Amino acid sequence: MSEFEERNIECVLTILKEKSPATTKEIMAMRDLFPELCAGCSSGGDVILAGKQLVEQGVVERKWTSEGFAWKLVKFQSSD
Amino acid sequence: MVVWSRIRKDFPVLGELYEGKSLIYFDSACMSLKPVQVWEAMEYYYKYLGACGGAGRSTHSLGQETSQLTEEARVKIAKFINARSANEIVWTRNATEGMNIIAATLPLKKDENVVTTSLEHHSGMLPFFKKCQEVGSELRIVDAKPDGTFDASDFEEKIDDKTKIVSFVHASNLTGTIAPLKEVVDISHEHGAWVVSDEAQYAPHAELDVQKIDVDFSVLSVHKALGPTGVGVLYGKYELLEQLGMFLVGGDVIEDVVYDNGKIVPKYLPPPHKFEAGLQNYGGMLGAGAAVDYLNNIGMNTIHNREQSFSRRLLEGILELDKFDVLGPLDYKQRASLVSFRPKSDAMNHNDVTEYFNSMIPNYKILMRSGNMCVHPFQYQIGINPGKGEGVTRASLYIYNTVDEIEIFLGELENFSRALD
Repeated sequence: MSEFEERNIECVLTILKEKSPATTKEIMAMRDLFPELCAGCSSGGDVILAGKQLVEQGVVERKWTSEGFAWKLVKFQSSD
Repeated sequence: MVVWSRIRKDFPVLGELYEGKSLIYFDSACMSLKPVQVWEAMEYYYKYLGACGGAGRSTHSLGQETSQLTEEARVKIAKFINARSANEIVWTRNATEGMNIIAATLPLKKDENVVTTSLEHHSGMLPFFKKCQEVGSELRIVDAKPDGTFDASDFEEKIDDKTKIVSFVHASNLTGTIAPLKEVVDISHEHGAWVVSDEAQYAPHAELDVQKIDVDFSVLSVHKALGPTGVGVLYGKYELLEQLGMFLVGGDVIEDVVYDNGKIVPKYLPPPHKFEAGLQNYGGMLGAGAAVDYLNNIGMNTIHNREQSFSRRLLEGILELDKFDVLGPLDYKQRASLVSFRPKSDAMNHNDVTEYFNSMIPNYKILMRSGNMCVHPFQYQIGINPGKGEGVTRASLYIYNTVDEIEIFLGELENFSRALD
């Protein structure tokens, strides 16, 4: 995984620690809270790719809703 | 008569399951799939040649055959767009590089201006924006109408005797608009201005006759026309290519580099070689030639007619659902074979739409693209804000798509639209 992808994953994870579940659109809107961390996470596509990685890791669950995909933190990941 | 089911078999990925699902590929405006014949042409180079091309470089047998085959491919491209000569065909990496070559080498003066439109791909606009900034010239923008069409009279207002060049997209990758290129060329020429047409979305889908249109330069991306990635074409009238300055310099663009009394005096080759610095993508050029052969075997008019009937069904099917805004003209005859759309309700991010079709449908993966398609200015113009993450989903068709695929997509789109109620 590239450094760029890792950073986007960290961005999405950080946002989900603030608000979970959150839709792709909500995550996009919250990127401004973490401008440095989320600088490369510039599109909904970046959010989805990062979210899918987190789903694969078992950290996040994804559910289809009338507002698009909702991403829910299911396992807290320690930063150390 | 074209047997379309046989054509489909030349694209093996379409017969494979991906994660257990059949693929419906609706992203050809970004990247076309490649037929077996294209890989075979490239494989021939890598397997049996693998040598340097370029006139007079390696004159051994492998080098000679490489040069011969790549120059034959150049001739094929010239005939494909009806250029007067193969010397009007410059190999590039893609249409973007073609635009950059023209903008960077354009002999533009400070009191001259450049005209472009709000509907250009960034690659047709930014190279000229940069050039105008460097020179201090004015960049004039013709606004497309909200439905993505143009009035030729708008160009008459912007183009004057100080206009050096007009950069104009022939078929929009966002709205699908087929633009009145010939009219704009005629207006431009009345003022002595050159025209460069962005053919990335037009030339793969319809017959392009650069002599008939009398366009001065055109750029193409071969990867959107069944060809390999990393190959593009810049067409230019020979006498105009001669007037452009140098772009990349180094090997392969020079006739001689004289060293005299401590001074270096390069003598550059004429077009097209003056723009092809360094060793080239020879395998890609052979693939490009094979792609053109493949398209010619079907016939560009046949392709255009089939795609027009398909895009009509696609367009009308999306509109019938009445849940989506469609960008571009609503008359299918004014459109290329792509439709960009977005839910009328602002409920979700456009990337969710694409991901839904990629992963949430039983039995199929319908592969489309979401985003802003590198045409931000027009979206700002019509009230879509890329800076806030707003955008569209685009379904784009090509020769390997079928009516059945369009119907499957429209059925799934109807299912999807229920989530928007």
